Amino acid sequence: MTMISRRKAANLISIVIMGLSLLILGVFLLVTLNVQAVIDKAGEEMRIYVYLRDGTAAAAARDIQMRLLRLEGVEEVVFVSREEALTSFRQALGGNKDMLDALESNPLPDAYRVKIKPEYIRSEYMATLSSEAGKWTGVEEVRYGERWLARGEKLVKGFYLADLAIGVIIFLSVVFVIANTVRLTVLSRQKTIEVAKLIGATNAYIRIPFLVEGALQGAVASLLAVGLLALIHLFAKRYLPGVLFLRGEVLGAFVAFCVLLGAVGSYGAMRRFLKV
Amino acid sequence: MEQDQRTIVGVYHLSKTFGKHFSLHDINLQVANGEFVFLVGPSGAGKSTLLRMIYMDDVPSSGQVVVGPHVSTRMKRGTIPELRRRIGIVFQDFRLLDDRTTFENVALALKVAGAGPAEVKHQVTDILMRVGLYHKRYDFPHELSGGEQQRVAIARAVANRPSVLLADEPTGNLDPVVTRSILELLFKINAGGTAVLMATHDLDLVRSFGQRIIYVESGRIMKDKDMIYVGDLREKIAGSTVSEKADRLKDRDITGDGGHRR
Repeated sequence: MTMISRRKAANLISIVIMGLSLLILGVFLLVTLNVQAVIDKAGEEMRIYVYLRDGTAAAAARDIQMRLLRLEGVEEVVFVSREEALTSFRQALGGNKDMLDALESNPLPDAYRVKIKPEYIRSEYMATLSSEAGKWTGVEEVRYGERWLARGEKLVKGFYLADLAIGVIIFLSVVFVIANTVRLTVLSRQKTIEVAKLIGATNAYIRIPFLVEGALQGAVASLLAVGLLALIHLFAKRYLPGVLFLRGEVLGAFVAFCVLLGAVGSYGAMRRFLKV
Repeated sequence: MEQDQRTIVGVYHLSKTFGKHFSLHDINLQVANGEFVFLVGPSGAGKSTLLRMIYMDDVPSSGQVVVGPHVSTRMKRGTIPELRRRIGIVFQDFRLLDDRTTFENVALALKVAGAGPAEVKHQVTDILMRVGLYHKRYDFPHELSGGEQQRVAIARAVANRPSVLLADEPTGNLDPVVTRSILELLFKINAGGTAVLMATHDLDLVRSFGQRIIYVESGRIMKDKDMIYVGDLREKIAGSTVSEKADRLKDRDITGDGGHRR
């Protein structure tokens, strides 16, 4: 193998190693993105049900609705009649809906289905709203699945902490791998640098090609990682049709970060090891 | 330090220590424009260290080196590249870039000096023809013989028309026939006006050429004034061992300052 083809092979290996490291980071970002989407969706579907007492007059019911709408964290209030509620219940029962035929009358009350703004979906706020609304005249009961919400919040908090820790570890590992790979590239060109210095090349003249090479390696490696990530995403969509991919600006930032990392890694290696 | 305008390289009271060991001790020498000087001495005498001081690969522990307008005691690191472009350097191990052709190796010297593509092509073609390697311009170093590689290294060293060429044992790895041809090339370059300071351990090789010889041993230099003087001594030192030659030169106290041995 000639020197040039050996160098090309070494370059290719460096790019593949960097690309695979970046792929791990990319997969991590993808998982985080999709879990976040699931959390957001769960939050969007969170509803508080304000059940009205039987016999509450229409005017009183409207008053309750207005009071709910005036609350800061409330986004939408929709009236659900007892008849609509029974229909929904029958649909939810599916094959067991015949059980309802035994009922002589509709036991379900009228209710208001309250949609909360996403930033207000917290146990404390929901508990406070529920407690306050529960005292209003005409309100029988307020429900929002408090046990599930509390459990969900713990899970989400745990997820964020784990996500942050894993993210930091992966990030640092990727930085280390890329910096080391670029360092080895620079070290392998030590002779070139020494000769260039002996014949009168300035530090800038020597440094610039290495910075460009480091940046290019970072760019190609990141594009390789993005390509592989897209393939993984395509495969995952077969089993999870709603799985999201990273947005354009995130991908752009990812590539830009890798370009910068490659250039900085190259600069650092030259400075430290070759005193350029 | 203002030195004589006829002097291209001046070394003044230069000493270099590594720890407690004196690699060079109170070296004084001047090389005139267009002069050819052999720096002779056994291995470990300090020849390479002295050359490294001249192209400022290291700094003297005391004393001064002056190359053209560049003075070692006043130089900033950022101006060393400019100095190196005024000096051509040739090594025993050639120091060519293995992943570049003959043409590209020589062209690099011109490119770092800022030459444009047309000038690079013209100059490199001219230089390779002068050293007799134009037909090998697309060959890589591993495809060249030792002598050819050294010619390429010399071509690179003179590409920017330096004022002085430093050669550190350029024939150390070469056979006698090739050695002679390399020396002839160096003389040819010298004839063109470039001063040459060539380090070698082979006194027998160089004494036949009638050039100025500076003898170095154990980091100390035999200070000589001019070629004529050395020429007078040639008959006296011919046939002696290396140490005897050194002793005879020392006995003559050629500086007149009562030079002493440490």
